[in-house]
Amino acid sequence: MASIDRRDFLKLVGAGGVGTGAGFMLREAIKHPVENLVPYPTPPEDFSPGIATWYNTVCSMCSAGCGISVRTLEGRAKKIEGNPSHPVSQGRLCARGQAGLQVLYNPDRVTTPLRQTGERGSGDWLPLTWTEGLAQLSGRLGELRTNGQGDSVCLLSAGVGGHMHGLFEQFVTSVGSDRLVYYDYDHPHELMAAMNRLFGAAQLPYFDLGNTHYLVSFGADYLGTWLSPVHHGLGFGRSRQGGDGGRGRFVQIEPRMTVSGAAADEWIPANPGTEGILALAMANRIVSQGVYQGEDSDAWAAALAPYSADAAAEQTGIAAETITRLADTFAESRPSLAIGGDGAARHSNGTSALTAITALNYLAGNLGVEGGLIFNPEPVAGQGAAARHASHRSMLALADDARQGRIQVLIVNQTNPVFSLPAASGIREALAEIPLIVSLSSFMDETTAMADLVLPSHTWLESWGDNFPEPGVGFRAGAISQPVVSPLYDTRDTGDTLMMVASAANPDGGLSWASTEEYLRDRWRGIFESDGAAPEEDAATDVQDDAADAAQGAQADAAEDVPAVAAEGAQADAAEDAQVDAAEDSTAVAESVPAEDAAVAADPDPAGWMPDAFDEFWNSLLRAGVWGENTRADPGPVTVDASVIDTIGVDAPEFAGSSESYPFILQPYLTETMHDGSGANLPWMQELPDPLTSVVYGSWLEINPATAEEMGLRDGDLVDIESPSGTISAPVLTYPGIMPNVVAMPIGQGHTEYGRYAAGRGSNPIEILASQMDAETGGLAWNATRVRLNPTGRRANLVRTSGLSRDLGRGIIQTTASGEEEHASTNLRSIPITVEPA
Amino acid sequence: MSFIDDFLASWREYREPGYYDSFDYHWTMTVDLDRCTGCGACVTACQAENNIPIVGEDALARGREMQWIRIEKYWEGDFPDVKLRFIPMLCQHCDAAPCETVCPVSATYHNQDGLNAQVYNRCIGTRSCAVYCPYEVRYFNYNNHHWDAPLEQQLNPDVSVREKGVMEKCSFCIQRIRQAKDVAKDEGGRRVQDGEVQPACVQTCPTEAMAFGDRNDPESQVSQIMSDERAYHVLEDLNTAPSVVYLRKVEGDVV
Repeated sequence: MASIDRRDFLKLVGAGGVGTGAGFMLREAIKHPVENLVPYPTPPEDFSPGIATWYNTVCSMCSAGCGISVRTLEGRAKKIEGNPSHPVSQGRLCARGQAGLQVLYNPDRVTTPLRQTGERGSGDWLPLTWTEGLAQLSGRLGELRTNGQGDSVCLLSAGVGGHMHGLFEQFVTSVGSDRLVYYDYDHPHELMAAMNRLFGAAQLPYFDLGNTHYLVSFGADYLGTWLSPVHHGLGFGRSRQGGDGGRGRFVQIEPRMTVSGAAADEWIPANPGTEGILALAMANRIVSQGVYQGEDSDAWAAALAPYSADAAAEQTGIAAETITRLADTFAESRPSLAIGGDGAARHSNGTSALTAITALNYLAGNLGVEGGLIFNPEPVAGQGAAARHASHRSMLALADDARQGRIQVLIVNQTNPVFSLPAASGIREALAEIPLIVSLSSFMDETTAMADLVLPSHTWLESWGDNFPEPGVGFRAGAISQPVVSPLYDTRDTGDTLMMVASAANPDGGLSWASTEEYLRDRWRGIFESDGAAPEEDAATDVQDDAADAAQGAQADAAEDVPAVAAEGAQADAAEDAQVDAAEDSTAVAESVPAEDAAVAADPDPAGWMPDAFDEFWNSLLRAGVWGENTRADPGPVTVDASVIDTIGVDAPEFAGSSESYPFILQPYLTETMHDGSGANLPWMQELPDPLTSVVYGSWLEINPATAEEMGLRDGDLVDIESPSGTISAPVLTYPGIMPNVVAMPIGQGHTEYGRYAAGRGSNPIEILASQMDAETGGLAWNATRVRLNPTGRRANLVRTSGLSRDLGRGIIQTTASGEEEHASTNLRSIPITVEPA
Repeated sequence: MSFIDDFLASWREYREPGYYDSFDYHWTMTVDLDRCTGCGACVTACQAENNIPIVGEDALARGREMQWIRIEKYWEGDFPDVKLRFIPMLCQHCDAAPCETVCPVSATYHNQDGLNAQVYNRCIGTRSCAVYCPYEVRYFNYNNHHWDAPLEQQLNPDVSVREKGVMEKCSFCIQRIRQAKDVAKDEGGRRVQDGEVQPACVQTCPTEAMAFGDRNDPESQVSQIMSDERAYHVLEDLNTAPSVVYLRKVEGDVV
C-alpha cells in the first residue's frame, strides 16, 4: 500500500478543491443561457396565450381595398380573413389577399436602412442607421429647396388613396416640388377617361353584378384581376344562384379565355382590339330596333350608322347573327350590364372602345339602376389622386426628364417601374442618369436594386393608413388600415419617413405630426366633426354593439403602438350578422358603421365631450374596420351631351409590327397570383397552380393547339418570342381557349431581383412590348404588340400539378341544362351498404 | 357483473347495422359548381390555416404537391366551342371510406362526427390509403419540410406540423370544429349552431360556392342545399358515401 504522508494528503485535497472550483466556474461559463418555457409570464394586456386576437384592417395586395380581419396569436399574424362588415369583401378574400402574411414574414425583406457602396446594381450594401439615412436624404432635399431646385425632386409611388394621398401631396409641396407620380401597371386610365367623356365624371363606377341578369364583359377579367375581383365574385355568385330573379347569365368576349371567360355561360372569341366595334354594332341594333327611346335617338342613330352587324362581323370575326342576338338579349334582359376591361382597353383604341361599351349601358337604360352601372359619390378623401396616376406616356416623359437632368432626387415607394415598363421605354437607362435614387420599398426589387439609399418601409400589415375603396360600392365607405403586429425589423412607416424627411428639409413645411397615426387621427377628426353634427344619419347596428361589448375587456389605448382590438367573439358575431345581412342585400352591410350615438348620449355637454367622443369614434372605427353610409344617392336622370355622341366611334386597332413578319398578336395578361409581378416573391403564390393551366413556378406561352400542331410544337418546347422591340424565351403550352392568331403569356415572372422565390424564374413579357399607347390617355396598349415564334429545339421544364385535362366520361364534373329538372335526386343521406345482423 | 353487461351492450350496439351512419354531428360540405370560378382562394386559405408546407419546384415536378384542397380542371370541346370546367377536390370524408379499411395501423378512422380523421402519430407511411382513395386527395410527406425564417412565425399553433413519412389530408378544419364544440360545451352543453363553424376554404370563397354544416340538423344550410335536384356525389357508383356534395353546373343557358 502506497504511503501518503500528511503533506501529500493536504496537497491533494488542495488541488482537488481548486479543480472542483475551476470546473464549476468553467461549467457556469459554458452552459446554455436559461430559457423560459413560458415566454410571457406577464403578457402584454391585449394578448393571452392561446387565445386569438383579431384586428380589422384593409388588404393592400391590390387596389380593391377589401376590409380584412387578421387573426393574431402571441403577437404574430396567423391568418387573414375578409371582414364580414366591410362592403367590398363581405367576409371573403382572394388567394393573393390570403398570402399577405407572406409579405409580412417574407425572408427577403429589407430589414435595415442600406447604402449602396459599389456601383449601382452591384448589390454592395452597407447597413446604416436611420439617423444617417434620413439626414442624407433630407440634407439633399433641403439643399435643393434652398437653391430653388425643389422641383427636381420626384416622389414615385405605387398608387395611394385616402388621406395618405394628402400626406404625399404635402410632402412634395413642402420640399418645393410638384412631382408626385403614382405608377401602377394596371391603373384603369381608359375606363376613367371613358366615364369622363360620356358623363363628365372621371371616376370608376360601381358595377352591380350581384343584381344583374345579363352581363356582357368585353375583355374584363372581373373574377380574376380586374378592379375588385372579390366583390365581383360575390356578385357573380349571387346573380348565378343566390338571387330571386332567376339565374343571371354571363357572356365574355375576348381572344383568350380568362377565369371570367371560363365561368361565363358563353365565351365568344373576338379579334383583339375589335371589342369596341362589336359594342357599337350592338348599340346600332338597340337604337335601330327602337329599344332606345331617348330624345337624342336620332343623333345616336347617325353616329352608329357605320357600325352595322355585317361590317362588325367582318372585323370582329363574330357572326352577324350572334351580334344581333347579343344586342337583343342585352336590351331585353332587365337589368343588364356591359363592362369593358383590360382585354378591350389596352389597345390603341382603348378609350374609344370603353366609351362605346359604357354607352351600351346608357342606351339600354342600365344607369343608376340596381343591377346596372351605379355612379359613385365624390370620395371623402384622396381627391386628386387619380390625376397623379401616370400613364405610359407620362412615364416616358418622366424618363425623358431624368435623361435631361431635370430630376436630381427620385424617391421610389413600393412601385417597380424597371420591371413593369417595357425595355423600349428606356426607364432603366433613364434612372441611371438620376444623381440620387432613394427607395422606400420593403423589398429589394429591380428598381430598389438601382437605388443609392434604401430607407425600408414597414409592410402594410405593420403600417397605418386608410382606404376609401376604389371603385366604390355606390355609397360612401372607408376603413382605417392599422398595424396588426409590432414591426419585425428596423423599418419605418412610409408616412413617418416622409414626415421626418420633410420636416428636416423644410421645418415650415407644415408636416408637423408626430406620426402617421397622429396625422390620420387628425384627418378623421375632420370627418367625425362634419358627420358628428348629424349623428342620426349613421345607424348603429347589432354588429357594432356586439363588437363594442365584446371588445371592452381588450380595449387598448389608441395612442399606443398597439391599437384597439375587436375580440374574437365580436368577430364571430359580426361574421354571422353581416352574412345574414349580406345575403339579403349587398347594401345592407354598410349599416355596420361606427356610430357615436352612445357617446353623444352619455355626455350632452358639447364643450366637454368632443375629445372623448372622438376617441370613442376612433376606437370603434378600428374595431369595426369599416365606416360609411348605408344609402345610395339617386343620381337623377343622366344624359350624354350631344357633342359627345358625334365623337362616338372606334378605329381599327393598330399593332406594332407587320402581320407578315410577326404573325401572332401577343397578349400579356395579369395573373391573380402574381398580378403585375408584385406577388412573385410569395411562395404560396408561386405554388398556387395557375387557375387555367395548373402551371406552378414559371412562365409559359399559350398557343392554340391547332396552331401548335402546324408548327410542330409540343407542350414544353422552348421558343424565342421575338417582337419588334426584343426577344424573350418561354416554353410553349397548348391552350384550347385561345384564337389561332393570338399567343398569350402571364405577367409576373422574369424577375432578376426580388428575393429567393422570384429571382431568376421564367421571363417577363412586358420587357418585349413596344411603346404602343392608347391615343387618348397614353396608357400602355399592352395587347398591341405582334410577335413571331422561333423554336429553339430545346425543351424546358414546365411544372404542372394536374394530370389529365379531359374528363373522359368519368362524370367528375356533372352538368345540367338550364331549367332541366328531371334529375332524380339521389338519396344523399343514406349509406346503401347494409350488414346482415349476425 | 354489470361491466360485462355494459361491455356486451356496447359491443352489440357496435355490431348493429347503421351504427356507422349515425353520428353525433354529421359534418358535410356542399360545393355549387355553378358558382365556382376556380380562382384558388380556397387553396391558399387552406395552406395558411393548416400549415401546409411549401414543397418547392423540384418536389412539384415529381408530383409531390401538398394541397389538401385543389382545383381540378377539365376541358370540354375544341376551339371555338370550348369549355373549361372546375371542381374543387378535397377529402370527401366518405362514410364508407376505402382508405380506412386498408390502413394496417388504423391511423385513419371515422370519428363520432362522421369525419375521416388521420392520426399522424400512428401513421407508419405505407401509403396504402393513398392508393385506395379514388379521389386521390391524400398527400404523403416525402420530406421534412422547412419554412425559411421568419415564415414559420405564420404557422397556426392549433394545427400540428407533419413530419417525413406521414400521410396527411383535409381534416374539414377539425381544429375549428373542436373549438366551436368547446364553446358550445362551455355554454351549457348546447349543440353547435349552424354557421358557427366554417373551414378556411368555405370561409374565404369569394363566390359563396361552398357551404358547411351538420346534415343531422334538417334546418341547416347544407341540409337545404343537399335537397336541391342538382346535388350529386363524385364517383357515386363507388358507393363511398362522401360527405362532400356537389351541385351540378348549369350549362347551355344561352339565349
